[in-house]
Amino acid sequence: MEQPLPKAEVLARRGEILAGLRGILPGEAVIGDAISLKPYETDGLTAYRQVPLAVVLPASEAEVIAVVKFCHLHGIRMIPRGAGTSLSGGALPLADAVVVGMMRMNEILEINYEDRYAVVQPGVTNIAITQAVEDEKFFYAPDPSSQLACMIGGNVSMNSGGAHCLKYGVTANNLLGLRLVTVEGEVLEIGGKHMDAAGYDWLGLITGSEGQLGIVTEVTVRILRSPEGQRAMLAGFASNEVAGACVDAIISSGIIPVALEFMDRPAIHACEAFAHAGYPLDAEAMLIIEVEGSEAEQADFLGRIEKICAGFAPISMVVSQSAEQSAAIWKGRKGAFGAIGRISPDYLCMDGTIPTSQLPAVLHRMKTMSEEYGLKVANIFHAGDGNLHPLIMFDANDPVSFHKAEAFGADILKLCVEVGGCLTGEHGVGIEKRDLMSAQFSVGELEQMRGIKSAFDPGWLLNPSKVFPLSEHAPG
Amino acid sequence: MQTNFSPTQLQNPEIAVANDILRTCVHCGFCTATCPTFVTLGDELDSPRGRIYLIKDMLENDRAASEEEVLHIDRCLSCLSCMTTCPSGVDYMHLVDHARVHIEETYSRPLMDRVLREVLARVLPYPARMRAALALARVGKPFAGLLVGENQVFGRLRAMLSLAPDRLPAAQNLGGTVHRPAGEVKGRAALLAGCAQQAIAPSINLATIELLNRLGVEVVVPAAAGCCGALVHHMGRHEEALAAARRNVAAWEGFDAVVVNTSGCGTVVKDYGFLLRHDEMAGAAAKVSAKTRDISEYLLEIYQPSRPAPGVTVAYHAACSLQHGQKVTSAPKTLLRKAGFAVVEPKDAHLCCGSAGTYNIMQPEIAAALRRRKLDTLNAKEPDVIAAGNIGCLTQLAGDGVPTVHTVELLNWMAGGTKPAGLK
Amino acid sequence: MIAPESEAGVCEAVRGANGPLLVQGNGTKAGMLRPVQAAETLSTARLSGITLYAPNELVMSAKAGTPLKEVEARLAEKGQQMIAEPPHIHGEEQTIGGIFATNFSGPRRVTGGAMRDHVLGVRAVNGNGEAQKFGGRVLKNVTGLDVAKFLTGSFGTLAVITEVTFKVLPKAEATGTIVIRNLEAEAAVRCMAAGLGSPFSVSGAAYLPAEKTVFLRIEEFAASVKYRTEKLAGQLAAFGGAEILDTAASLALWRDVRDCRPLPAGAATWRVTVAPSAAPKILAAAEMAGLAGILDWGGGLIWLSGEATEAAHQAVTGAARAHGGVWWLMNAPDPLRAAVDVVPAEAPALAKISARVRQMFDPRGIFNPGKMRAA
Repeated sequence: MEQPLPKAEVLARRGEILAGLRGILPGEAVIGDAISLKPYETDGLTAYRQVPLAVVLPASEAEVIAVVKFCHLHGIRMIPRGAGTSLSGGALPLADAVVVGMMRMNEILEINYEDRYAVVQPGVTNIAITQAVEDEKFFYAPDPSSQLACMIGGNVSMNSGGAHCLKYGVTANNLLGLRLVTVEGEVLEIGGKHMDAAGYDWLGLITGSEGQLGIVTEVTVRILRSPEGQRAMLAGFASNEVAGACVDAIISSGIIPVALEFMDRPAIHACEAFAHAGYPLDAEAMLIIEVEGSEAEQADFLGRIEKICAGFAPISMVVSQSAEQSAAIWKGRKGAFGAIGRISPDYLCMDGTIPTSQLPAVLHRMKTMSEEYGLKVANIFHAGDGNLHPLIMFDANDPVSFHKAEAFGADILKLCVEVGGCLTGEHGVGIEKRDLMSAQFSVGELEQMRGIKSAFDPGWLLNPSKVFPLSEHAPG
Repeated sequence: MQTNFSPTQLQNPEIAVANDILRTCVHCGFCTATCPTFVTLGDELDSPRGRIYLIKDMLENDRAASEEEVLHIDRCLSCLSCMTTCPSGVDYMHLVDHARVHIEETYSRPLMDRVLREVLARVLPYPARMRAALALARVGKPFAGLLVGENQVFGRLRAMLSLAPDRLPAAQNLGGTVHRPAGEVKGRAALLAGCAQQAIAPSINLATIELLNRLGVEVVVPAAAGCCGALVHHMGRHEEALAAARRNVAAWEGFDAVVVNTSGCGTVVKDYGFLLRHDEMAGAAAKVSAKTRDISEYLLEIYQPSRPAPGVTVAYHAACSLQHGQKVTSAPKTLLRKAGFAVVEPKDAHLCCGSAGTYNIMQPEIAAALRRRKLDTLNAKEPDVIAAGNIGCLTQLAGDGVPTVHTVELLNWMAGGTKPAGLK
Repeated sequence: MIAPESEAGVCEAVRGANGPLLVQGNGTKAGMLRPVQAAETLSTARLSGITLYAPNELVMSAKAGTPLKEVEARLAEKGQQMIAEPPHIHGEEQTIGGIFATNFSGPRRVTGGAMRDHVLGVRAVNGNGEAQKFGGRVLKNVTGLDVAKFLTGSFGTLAVITEVTFKVLPKAEATGTIVIRNLEAEAAVRCMAAGLGSPFSVSGAAYLPAEKTVFLRIEEFAASVKYRTEKLAGQLAAFGGAEILDTAASLALWRDVRDCRPLPAGAATWRVTVAPSAAPKILAAAEMAGLAGILDWGGGLIWLSGEATEAAHQAVTGAARAHGGVWWLMNAPDPLRAAVDVVPAEAPALAKISARVRQMFDPRGIFNPGKMRAA
């Protein structure tokens, strides 16, 4: 993966720079030795690795500002990092960059149930927000699968989604405000505790900006009251087409389930082998559907969905009658990635979005590609919103295998764009899809976005190797 | 993850095992969220994923352990919370065990560090020496305040003094004893009497034996058995650990079960099969590991209370070695409820209390932070007593106002035994 | 007035512009914010038509000049609706482009999201006359910077929107409204907070101070509406006895709230958004300045009307600022509009960046100059 050339003058002054950083942050908050830098060379996408110049771990906004001002003054590139769970290489360093790890800013500053918001630091994990408000029966809605470990600062930068987002929206729909430290070390206070921005939607622009525009030091999120309860059902179908048609019928009926997950045959088999959840092994496709409400409403909604599914000759159908049964239905799906990990040495988790009506055609094309590349692929699909997660199985210790997997992944993403979708629904562009951006955007559109980036960061010091294909037009 | 061991390196069976473990890690980072040192320090290097990466680099490059690796691996509590969380089934325990052996073999620790470790290794596993040390500590305790300063030596001495009990209990040395039930003998179990446990809290073994006898189980503490070897194992002193394992495997042949009432030991005993897998005692070790039970597992099917519910609220503290190491999560709570106690659990129950063997001596600052965090979550439930299945936790959590009592002592009380001292 | 019939025509018009352009659909929102001084008007009114509608995928695309009423009629045929419930205040001529350009959302915004939350993709012509597309037609899309969201609510000052793609949702089978009377503002906001903080998916929460009445809406299948309205009304008993309105009455009521009918007409109208618990204080300050108001979004949105004086404006903006809120001057005579901050000023650090970003979109500064802030 091509990277911008490291700045020779920065590399040459490494000792001075480390000394300067140590003057700003105490003790172990500055990491500069080769051995300790190594674990910071990668994130959730281990195919790409690059040891940074240094790592700093600020514990406050003031420390972030001091670090940023220092780096800005010396023309040093910065790579913000949260939990390092990115599947698109968002936190991949550069050889001449300082990784700014936000993990120590992990406090919840304020919770307000009357006005339904919480103010948190960027290093608070996604699930920790929900855990902090669950005693009052509230929750924070966006729930990426990595929510146990991923941090809200990263969620903001990637505009993370999750299985709940069909009903509750993604991160961008669940924020009220944030504080952003600009590349010059100034603080922008964006939004607040109120809905809607008067003036430009900076909050909307910054969310999903993948560390290009500044470093997030505080986030105000919306918190919602949890529903009375939820319940799930599963249905297995004889073909992808039929399952897809069933999804259409459910959506068209006026019910918006809280989750609508689609798994193809390889995914069903992998999950069943691991979780023994009772999935139909003879089904081509399986849907897991969850609804919310009181007990009576759960029964009513599931009853309606059951009737709809029945119209598509399901091979099997299990409607949960209890919380335990719902958990059993979800067990396999929730262990999916681990399950794939146990049948394959490694896997690439792709993330493209397609119009839901294109699913059968896309799955068909993927099957052909799978045969051509000689690599197995299992599909997990957020059926309600078109977000596809093909899991391409390969062996990282075999370089040929990895390159084939990468090429296969790129072909899938280009196919997504081809059928009217996009390169990434949740994981972000990062480094992984940077060089595919021209499949989705014209030269002018990329220039426009680069221009916005330059408005915030004229010297391209913030995460400069991500999102935008390297170009002679971009400075730095 | 991709690994880079040469075919020659892979011929070493230990490296082959490490390679297999490293390959299963996909670097997803879920483990960081539930790691006590990561949530305290916020540094990837002090997370399981970071340690895995450091160990990988160290082993792939055939490198002697360096100061940086030792710093972060020493900070690992071996609480194994990461293993409970890991979706890919990474065997972190055996990887970090390997790393500790590698460190012990290739790294030259500072003098005071070596002295302290040597002292711990020669005192803790021997109840009589432990008692002597505790007696000394009682004398020294009032002077702890003189040990001012944050340097490693004083910090650790202060930590040790603070852990010593105020009053020294009656001496206990159960090695070579047999305890028969009054009536019919329904089972025969070997009991691991434990080391620190006999010196600090002999009531735990007494309650265990009394309860098991009550339930018709003959309890034997073979003279030949001794320390389980956990302490030296976690220091990376491999040969001493194997020696301890062999000794106990031999001593415990012929029993229906090996019962362990200190879960830190139980995890190691259940691992004897793996530790001795290349040894001539491999078969016997595997059998011993397979028949080892934590006291709560052993009691689950046979326990019967005889007293009415006492109106006592118990906060159950799940020791890491029990919930993560041995995956025993519900048995203790089921038993406590059966005994008539109201059982509550703290938030963030997966996080270690900071005891972790001798961690609270070797890493006093982190241990203190974890202790405070754990006590705050336990106290928030307003319990009358805190119960746990491990002497380390009970010692670590003592002295904050709520009595800490071993689960088996509470169960024994409700089955007709004496009320544990410390309960109002 | 230039009114191209195609996007290419818009590009040509922009390229050929000699000076500032007043960018609009049918100009129904010309009265919002500041007056624009421009010799030429560029209208997208003839860029009209629904270009994509996939009800089972919850997506529609429409050219910017498509009348909102055409969009809503087409959606209604399939039992679907605009989620954010855009007000019809500016009459039946308003276009979908104008709705998105002003992020103009109604009562359901409180839980359903605003126009900007449902925009999936935008086609727009920038200041160089280049037609560009950002976003797409899928519900999940994080590819690149979210320019589609950024253009929403930009009041035509960055680019000329030519087509919008947006998410839609099914209409609910039934609607019920809980009506609780005799509440002063503080109690009313607490009542609405209790409603919005309940597990019953309240989708509208409004308060009319003149009538001292709170309205809470629930939209769902009929059986659920019955269950939820009754249960919630019971839970809110401490605030007073509740009347429950059926679907027909509810639809009529919430149309009125959406279109601000209960608000007395005034020479000037403001919109303030703030944390709901601060709404009573802002209402009180406004009332002291002789203004009338109504609350929507549980108190998170305050509509105010009254005299078009600087004093009145300062009362509104001062109160908003004091409680961390923001404001829009929705209509007023031109002299007042030109003289005051119609939206809050940008802090210096942001203003610096903002100027550069606007430059990127509109190098010559020809799009609605001065619409948001004095040029």
